[in-house]
Amino acid sequence: MGELSRVRRSILPMPGDGWGEIARRELPDVAEADAVSRLQSWNLHVYMRATMRTGGPGNPILPSDVIFVEPPLASA
Amino acid sequence: MYDLVIRNGRVVDGSGLPAYRADVAVKDGRIVRIGHVAEGARRVVDAAGKVVAPGFIDPHTHFDAQLLWDGCAKPALSHGVTTIVPGNCSLSLAPLRAEHRMKLVGMFNQIEEMPLKAFREGVVWDWETFAEYIARIRKGLAINVAPLVGHSVLRLWVMGDAAMERTATADEIAGMQAVLRECLDAGAAGLSTSYVDMDERLLPVPSRHADPSEVDALAAVLGEYGRMLQIVPEFYDADLTIARLDQLAELSIKHSIPTTFSPLFVNADNIDAVNRVMKRVDEQFDRGARVWPQVQTRPIDISFCFAVPSLLFIRFPGWYRIMRFGSHEEILASFRDADTRAKLIAEAAPLAALWPHLVLRHVKFDANRALVGKTLGEIAALRGVSPVDAMIDLSLEEDLDAHFLAASMGHNDDAEVGRLLAHPRVHVGASDGGAHILSFSTYGDTGYLLGHFVRDVKALTLEAAVKKVTSDTAAIWGIPERGLLQPGYVADIVVFDPATIDRAVEDYVGDVPGDGFRYVRASSGVDSVFVGGALAWSAAEGYQPAQGEILPGLAA
Repeated sequence: MGELSRVRRSILPMPGDGWGEIARRELPDVAEADAVSRLQSWNLHVYMRATMRTGGPGNPILPSDVIFVEPPLASA
Repeated sequence: MYDLVIRNGRVVDGSGLPAYRADVAVKDGRIVRIGHVAEGARRVVDAAGKVVAPGFIDPHTHFDAQLLWDGCAKPALSHGVTTIVPGNCSLSLAPLRAEHRMKLVGMFNQIEEMPLKAFREGVVWDWETFAEYIARIRKGLAINVAPLVGHSVLRLWVMGDAAMERTATADEIAGMQAVLRECLDAGAAGLSTSYVDMDERLLPVPSRHADPSEVDALAAVLGEYGRMLQIVPEFYDADLTIARLDQLAELSIKHSIPTTFSPLFVNADNIDAVNRVMKRVDEQFDRGARVWPQVQTRPIDISFCFAVPSLLFIRFPGWYRIMRFGSHEEILASFRDADTRAKLIAEAAPLAALWPHLVLRHVKFDANRALVGKTLGEIAALRGVSPVDAMIDLSLEEDLDAHFLAASMGHNDDAEVGRLLAHPRVHVGASDGGAHILSFSTYGDTGYLLGHFVRDVKALTLEAAVKKVTSDTAAIWGIPERGLLQPGYVADIVVFDPATIDRAVEDYVGDVPGDGFRYVRASSGVDSVFVGGALAWSAAEGYQPAQGEILPGLAA
């Protein structure tokens, strides 16, 4: 079996997950408001997912979403 | 006496081994002999100077609706494609309850750009279950079909409208498993799901409301049959694509199933990203997973007019909102109103560099006929306006029936695309055949592979390219007895001229139900195509009655 190299760390949401729940679980050492802000900035594909009807950010997280829990890795 | 003998051809047998000169004899739908064949046959084809190869398999299409009025999936057969896989991207036409028909039509219209009118006037809705749909398309079927079950449709069947709003309960997941088994027993080739698509309301499709446990449960059912899971990942971002392919790899290993994700595009600005994705693909294959990235052969061309929504404008809410939800008159009014027009032009400023290069390709009225073929830059210079104003003015003058072509928008670096196509862990596919019919032609990708990337660019040998779209595809999808020319195999065969095979120029034809049009490309250099030993199409005789099959076949 081959080895997997390190890639950007992500999770799939658990039932009932919102930004706060993920922040508390994945970034326990960071103040929640700051952790939520970081998560949203790392996950613009979710946070800024445009809804053509409302036009605004902040869509609820879908149960199928990939949520990154760290910033993009530096290029090798 | 054989049924068919193809004499004097250069046999490229689909294995990737060097071509050789031989005759191919067929009886009762099967290849019975390859070598020197002295005996006669009911039909003899002289293939001197031509290649004899297995019929091509297209693993990513949306011919689901077209098969209801066209069992040949025209013009796919004429390109040598003898097997198609519809039902990709979480969308299939079954199982489908009557109350969800218009919901599905809306999704097909939004995601695959299939005209509503074609569904209204070309479809007699006389099925609900997957088995009933299969029975329906088998009438007049001339091409082989390996149909996927769409996850979004499966959710609608079990959950009703709640499929568009929430995760499934344990009972509902069990219900989906049971229905998926029924579909697989009826001949489905696997399951498709999507992590990016939006429905006709521009809200996430039902499959995106599934949590990982639901997908895992459905993959477990696929594992009982060894069938395929296809997904559409967030292909615009390498980290997201890698996360999805890791998710697929776990399912592949846990349930011992093949998986595939599509599309994977390479452009000048994402070569490093594609290299990262392919490195991960290699790592996951080395672990024992099967995660096949699908790569299309053709560059991205997009045609559009403002009478129908175009994905080219989906990044610009002002434009897309009026194209998607506005009436014909409302779109015209938006273009006529100076303030609205100025706002639209400002919103689409990121496309400012593109406008001058767009080509006017079709108009309705004679007054502008002389401008067809000119770029918007040229037309703008003639009229003394900006290119984007020229585009809007022409659309008003033509009652929105002015068509523009944005050619070679991406996936057009021959060296990079060729390198990907030749990669042993790349699955050549993602044609989208039968979809996006008013945006681009989704036909002729195999001709482009063999003409452009084999003959012109020399990115692959002829034998390697044929293997990619025949035996590799059959093996990846678990389709038995197809994809190779060898005794005992089903006689799906294409005869073509390697010096001229290609896709013809894109044409705008009116062969869609409801007086509809679509962009198509005819084949070039294809001599004849056989399905199950019967002539299905030839350059001399056109389409002929043949009998396509449902593949990989009914479950034992």
